[in-house]
Amino acid sequence: MTDGFKVGYPQALLYYKYFPLWETFFNRLGVEVVLSGPTNKALLNLGTVEAENELCLPVKVFYGHLLALADKVDAIFIPRMVSVEKSAYTCPKFMGLPDMARATETRLPPIMDPTINWKLGWRQYVKTIIELGSQFTDNKAKILGAYHAGVQSLHQYQDKIRAGATPIDIIESKEAPRAGVADLRIGLAGHPYNIYDKYISMNLIKRLREMGTDVVTAEMIPHSELEKESQTLPKHLFWTFEREVVGTVFHWSRRNSVDGIIYVLAFPCGPDSLIQSLLEHEMRRERSTVPMMSLVIDEHSAEGGFLTRIEAFVDMLSRKKKLAGRVAN
Amino acid sequence: MQGFLGVDVGSVSTNLAMLDADGGVISYVYLRTQGQPIMAVQQGLMELEAKLDGSVDVIGVGTTGSARYLTSVVVGGDIVKNEITAHAVAAGHVVPGVRVVLEIGGQDSKIIFLRDGIVVDFAMNTVCAAGTGSFLDHQSARLGIPIEDFGRYALGAEKGALIAGRCSVFAESDMVHKQQVGYKLEEIIYGLCQALVRNYLNNLAKGRDLAGPIAFQGGVAANAGMKKAFEEAINQEVQVPEHFSVMGAIGAALLAKEEKLLEPGPSAFKGFGAAKIDYRTSSFACGGCENNCEIIKIVVDDETLARWGGRCGKWEVDIIRRQHLEPIGADCSKCG
Repeated sequence: MTDGFKVGYPQALLYYKYFPLWETFFNRLGVEVVLSGPTNKALLNLGTVEAENELCLPVKVFYGHLLALADKVDAIFIPRMVSVEKSAYTCPKFMGLPDMARATETRLPPIMDPTINWKLGWRQYVKTIIELGSQFTDNKAKILGAYHAGVQSLHQYQDKIRAGATPIDIIESKEAPRAGVADLRIGLAGHPYNIYDKYISMNLIKRLREMGTDVVTAEMIPHSELEKESQTLPKHLFWTFEREVVGTVFHWSRRNSVDGIIYVLAFPCGPDSLIQSLLEHEMRRERSTVPMMSLVIDEHSAEGGFLTRIEAFVDMLSRKKKLAGRVAN
Repeated sequence: MQGFLGVDVGSVSTNLAMLDADGGVISYVYLRTQGQPIMAVQQGLMELEAKLDGSVDVIGVGTTGSARYLTSVVVGGDIVKNEITAHAVAAGHVVPGVRVVLEIGGQDSKIIFLRDGIVVDFAMNTVCAAGTGSFLDHQSARLGIPIEDFGRYALGAEKGALIAGRCSVFAESDMVHKQQVGYKLEEIIYGLCQALVRNYLNNLAKGRDLAGPIAFQGGVAANAGMKKAFEEAINQEVQVPEHFSVMGAIGAALLAKEEKLLEPGPSAFKGFGAAKIDYRTSSFACGGCENNCEIIKIVVDDETLARWGGRCGKWEVDIIRRQHLEPIGADCSKCG
């Protein structure tokens, strides 16, 4: 059944984290992967109309991508991401994503929703992968081979990011800007689907680079490092992706390795709002000297106010640095 | 005499300040923007020209406020800066050793922390404009009391009525309720000031250390009730600078002075005659991709002076500085 079979992959949410894995996996099984393309105003509007009003912005965006794929593919791939590590869960929205997709008013092609749940151990995980691949081939070795190739693609992608490229640079196959040439280094914290989506982040990374700063993100830090930093909290955070944000911010603030931190959060994300006050509180307690600014994005965000804040933040950092230079001389 | 001009065009007010070479205020103008920034700037230029009567030679111009880019095109600016930096610079200049700036404007509010004249941290209200000047304006219209008298009323109260300040809509229904049960107008108005201060401290200060000297500026600082409510809440003296309402413009002028020190050269100032130029703005939807960005154009005599508003940058042009901003890519579908 693989001949000409097309799987739709919404370019939203965990796309930025895992897409090389699944793209390679499907391609190796002879399945064509169709992307929904970068977010734009039309997609966002589509999603906002379709989605429950109380959902967070990234999920509304996801709906837009889903609808954009509706009549272009034979199936849509929406893995049910329950847990990606033994000790933690993802946000509940990810667990229910395939169900939320099925509940749309618009008729969608069949949804492929393997349950990814590392809490059940690796044996179960392998079983899930084989089940997923069995829709296209009976050859188990081929399925596992395809998955293995997928993991390698993912690692290559992660290596490129660690070397300083952002997922956007890689997706657009652009050269990553040379790190260390700018005067200022800004740590950009937040969910990949918020900071790497050029439309909803209002091109934040490009704007920051144009203002003469180096932008670093969580994905450029070794994962074990983030893990270690977030362990210092009195209580274990049970959401994987939020724990990554916390680990990232601590990594930068405790080492003084960036001039400033911008934390992008989406309205009305529950976990984000908790993490925001947690971070502010902890950084104050640790007497961190690295300034952090939170930027809240939602579908009504006006570009003007957004720009003012970014400009003011970069201004603050560069004036501070200039003064420090003057004192040192 | 040589002077530096600062223009701050915000959502509610448009302010111009002329500073001498030492940063002293020669003259200033405070106007309502009334949704027409170009007209407000031109009106301001005329009023300022009349006040100065040809005594000042403008050698640098800075613009700030939410219409800072537009204003820079209209007056011919040498530097365009965001209002946070402008307010901080002005406070640092006027209030010696200032460590905290409380600023409440028409549609936003900010708190700025400084050490040795340099901003070290700031916060600005997020998506919601509750507790800013326009809310007070709205209530003054509803109560039929001119906004200028709010402070006097507030100071006339012994204590404030307890009003919810989280949300403007709730605050309003709370005020109506308090009126109906018989609270005095003075108590309600002071209660409103206290609610705004509570809201401000919760949302912006968020438990940060408010060590003085503290400056309170922006249009809302005209309200003595707000100053008193702040002082009561944080138990410290709060200074309202003499030119509290035009601090953004003063900051912009100081930044222009700094810019001219760094990069000497003739100013881009178009002269006070810019008040008479017939600027026309128009807009159109690009249609190059699904984003359908709205592009704004400023035209004088069929010549496009500036154009902006697109996400990809292909329309962006600023003829005054002879700059064409680099587009992201000619391919419009790459927008976003």
